[in-house]
Amino acid sequence: MDLDKALTISARGMDAQSSRLVVIAQNLANQDTTGSTPGAKPYQRKTVTFANTMDTSIGVPTVSVKEAGVDESDFPLKYDPSNPAANAQGYVQTPNVNSFVEVMDMREAQRSYNANVSVMEVTRGMLTRTIEMLK
Amino acid sequence: MTPLTPTIPTITVTPQAASDAYQSADQSALGGTDVTGFSATLQRAVQSAIQTGQSADAQSMKAIAGGGNITDVVTAVSKAELTLEAAMAIRDKMVSAYQDIMRMAI
Repeated sequence: MDLDKALTISARGMDAQSSRLVVIAQNLANQDTTGSTPGAKPYQRKTVTFANTMDTSIGVPTVSVKEAGVDESDFPLKYDPSNPAANAQGYVQTPNVNSFVEVMDMREAQRSYNANVSVMEVTRGMLTRTIEMLK
Repeated sequence: MTPLTPTIPTITVTPQAASDAYQSADQSALGGTDVTGFSATLQRAVQSAIQTGQSADAQSMKAIAGGGNITDVVTAVSKAELTLEAAMAIRDKMVSAYQDIMRMAI
């Protein structure tokens, strides 16, 4: 039934946004993680992309995580000679994580999740109203 | 229309199927002789409702044990709840139809 499918699609949407939040949490938690040997690479920002894939169990496409990639942008340099990852000049490569970008991503994930929850609530309401016609 | 076959585990009582089931039950009740049709329809509807309930139960148990996906639990429980509601509505209709027949003056 179509409304049943809508319930499943919303649930998959919520799953996708949860995976996104996992990546954001990793990025925010590691925003100060540097390497442990001189000149070593710091934590590299992770990214997540989504795909519209066919769900054979219900016969409609649903959203799923396409791939968890990494951000290839440059690592900012910071002068910190006491850090074990500092190079000969005393500079340390810091993660390419921008906390403002992550927080905005987090807000977006939250809004998308809530939108899916709203769709689920409306679907449930429609189903309940239909069943009430039998009473 | 979704066929109400008890061998397919994912089948739920859809409102469409519910009204069809009620109609066929109503017709067989009006026929008066086809008792198997009436009870078989009822049994099939109840069977699929039970299966939906069991899947919700399994998901909830997983969630209580600390595993499982919370969105899967919400969907399974929602479906079970709606199926039960539909099943109860159909049952009430069927019983009242049956009582109408029984009250008929011969």
